[in-house]
Amino acid sequence: MKNKVLELDRVTMQFGGLKAVNELSFSVDEGEIVGLIGPNGAGKTTVFNCVTQFYDDYQGNIFFTNHQNERIDLRSKKVTEVIDEGIVRTFQNVELIPDLSILDNVMIGAHNQFKTNIFAHILRTKKAKQEETMIREKAMEVLEFMNILDIKDQFAHGQPYGILKKIEIARTLMANPKLIILDEPAAGLNDKETDELAEIINNIRENYNASILLIEHDMGFVMEICDRVCAINFGQYLAMGSPKEIQSHPDVQEAYLGKDE
Amino acid sequence: MMEKLRGILLGFTRSLKRHPHIQFMVFGALLSIVAFLPHIGIMNFSTMSIIAYIVIYTVVALGMNILLGFSGLISLGTAGFIGAGALGIGVFLGLGLPFELAALLTVIIAGGIGALIGLFSLKVDGIYLAIATLFVGEILRQIYTQVAIFGGEGINIGGVKFLGLIELNQIRQWNRSYLFIILVIVMVIMMMVMHNIIKSRTGRALMAMSRSDSAAQAMGVSILKYRLTAFILATVFATIGGILYGIYFQQAPTRAWTLNISLIIIAMVVVGGFKSIYGTFLGAFVIHGIPNLWLKELFDDVSYIFSGILIIVVILFYPNGFVYVWVDIKKAYYKYKLKYAQKKKVTADEE
Repeated sequence: MKNKVLELDRVTMQFGGLKAVNELSFSVDEGEIVGLIGPNGAGKTTVFNCVTQFYDDYQGNIFFTNHQNERIDLRSKKVTEVIDEGIVRTFQNVELIPDLSILDNVMIGAHNQFKTNIFAHILRTKKAKQEETMIREKAMEVLEFMNILDIKDQFAHGQPYGILKKIEIARTLMANPKLIILDEPAAGLNDKETDELAEIINNIRENYNASILLIEHDMGFVMEICDRVCAINFGQYLAMGSPKEIQSHPDVQEAYLGKDE
Repeated sequence: MMEKLRGILLGFTRSLKRHPHIQFMVFGALLSIVAFLPHIGIMNFSTMSIIAYIVIYTVVALGMNILLGFSGLISLGTAGFIGAGALGIGVFLGLGLPFELAALLTVIIAGGIGALIGLFSLKVDGIYLAIATLFVGEILRQIYTQVAIFGGEGINIGGVKFLGLIELNQIRQWNRSYLFIILVIVMVIMMMVMHNIIKSRTGRALMAMSRSDSAAQAMGVSILKYRLTAFILATVFATIGGILYGIYFQQAPTRAWTLNISLIIIAMVVVGGFKSIYGTFLGAFVIHGIPNLWLKELFDDVSYIFSGILIIVVILFYPNGFVYVWVDIKKAYYKYKLKYAQKKKVTADEE
């Protein structure tokens, strides 16, 4: 049996009277690509926000096995510390800095890897310069991996949507991730870009040894790249299994297509 | 001979492009020439004082640019901190402290107050932050006028001794020129500091925070830490501007630090250029320099109408600041060059 990277244990998130996520449990294994699917408003993004501690008032527990193989309770981490443990995410509506170059945008992913402080930066000490160069080179490697190195000095502003999505994924790779959480990576992409994305995600798993948890509405894409799929509806667990099993699962079909009367 | 000269010039501009710090130094050196002009009768000493004002405002506005341009925050209390610099240095020098220590203490104390505003800014945003900082500025001004240590109307600083060796007093004309050069040197240093900050992890984090705070947090950028950083930097820049005011004019008034000055500083950033270091200087020049240097002689008080109209025009056509005119000029030049090259190619093909 493989090691579990992420475990959700009866996680419940309530907004007022609405339970956006209700007693949800599932897990992601090491090196696995897991899809989280469900109709609109099923609570998928809420799950992501709980895992990354944007919401910290959920009930239940979320455990994560970090780089040092320690199984930690993510609740003990602040939203800005989650990345240090090896969890890094993208957003549904691409969240980049339009007026920074693509290279600088990607370098933000390594924010916490800097050891030097602002005074060292002001004085441009040797150590600060070395660090900056090191991280810049790493960012260039990542950009090359993502096939967008040639436009590294252009602003993020005005780039096509497909490129923006790539920059955001590149930024996650800067953080030495153990688990990458992608919120609708294929939304808004054309067929060619979607195929390329599938290839990239597979390459990430191989080259970066990262597990991937993703939300996606493009079922073809999910079925193609995911090892396992977890389906939820109204915040509740429906089923989890191989893409094929999920596709033919009666509960899932009901959630998506409605019940035959 | 001409070829050689051209080569040297080209090499020089190229190295300028590659080393922004040398650019700042060259800029400072050129500006320092102003210090000598009154002595050879080309310029009045009062004109030099106006340019000194521009230099001081540039330092303050650079801090405002960190706040407004990079961090997406605002402060209407800037004038209070310029006052803190001028009065602080006055008080500490009056106590007999050496200049360097007095300046350091002033900056630390003002920076502390800036940190408090930063903490406060975590709770409020946008227009509320603007109003809150407006009252911070007013409170500071009230303190200056009411507390006896600031001397009621102001403090007479008199000659300032630098490094415990050279005493410069602005009554003497040459000393005033030296003081002007000190101002320019400090401005160049602050430009370099600003450049180093914005090209580093801190600059990227500030921008991440202002453009998308959720993405910033997911990348490990602490909003608390960087809001504090932004406000402390802005107050430190403003305070250093105030100290420069204190050492150049060698007096520190208590009533002068009104909202008007805070607004002027914001206008400098808006008109000059968001996120641009030279744009900030340009903004200070346009807002303070143009009316005071030329328009005032021609139109007296009506000159402010002209600067008002200028500001509106700039905002309409260059919402990111006047400095971006340069970008357009560059674009037009490349377009022209491209067209020219194509034309040349076409005629060559025809032949």
